[in-house]
Amino acid sequence: MNLAAHTASMAETIAFAILSASVLLGGLLTITRRNPVSAVMSLVLTFAALAGLFATLSAHFLAVLQVLVYAGAIMVLFVLVVMMVNREESTPIARQGLVTRAVGVLAAGYVFYRVAWLVARERAMPLLAASATPPVKDFGTVSSVGALLFSDFLFPFEAISLLLLVAVVGGVMLTRHLGEDNSFRAS
Amino acid sequence: MPTYAYILVSLALFFVGTSGVLLRRNALIVLMSVELQLAAGTLALLAFSRALGDQRGHVFAFFVMALAAAEAAVGLAILVSVFRTRRTANLDDVNALKG
Repeated sequence: MNLAAHTASMAETIAFAILSASVLLGGLLTITRRNPVSAVMSLVLTFAALAGLFATLSAHFLAVLQVLVYAGAIMVLFVLVVMMVNREESTPIARQGLVTRAVGVLAAGYVFYRVAWLVARERAMPLLAASATPPVKDFGTVSSVGALLFSDFLFPFEAISLLLLVAVVGGVMLTRHLGEDNSFRAS
Repeated sequence: MPTYAYILVSLALFFVGTSGVLLRRNALIVLMSVELQLAAGTLALLAFSRALGDQRGHVFAFFVMALAAAEAAVGLAILVSVFRTRRTANLDDVNALKG
């Protein structure tokens, strides 16, 4: 390996370390903050760093979408709801049912430990050891992913647009004020 | 970086999201934890997509993102609706369907 390639891989390692540390730190802050606004801002950090990780995977299109859709639109939605439902919790983790929850987290932690151990043990297998960008032309660009989206995946693409329409209409229906004489009233 | 490094980060992020869903009682934070889990899944899809040289993983990641947007919209609408009638966002106060 010559010096230039070595420097490039060193920079890639450092970038990966910083980005993955930001992702995990942001995730931990999200689930531990008492103030919902701090949690949302930590989630923005997570998603921004995740967009960086997508870019290192040469998923350019998805990295841009991550910033626009997640860190942009969805987070604005969360901040708006925090504005309406702003209650700081006195006890973020309620005492009631704590044992059951602790068992759940321990079970999830055990699954995480076993799968991570398996991945680390089998890291030499070709699928898990692959580190280079594949020799596909325009891998992950808007044009090549879009061409796939509008050829092989045209029907799922239309179905997902219908899903988004249903979600928007459902969101409006759920949150609009209903009069007393309205038979749609759920409660 | 090799694919397994990305998979380990994805696993850790999914575990953080699962812990958030199980531990927190604020419905807003639980919804954010679900977003973390979906984002971890997206990361794994993209990592394997690069390892296989197959861009269909990117298409699936795109669908996951659209699904997350729909889920956030409906989930937050339900949260606002519940808050309006019950004045609470605590999941322990809204357990009438609890088994």
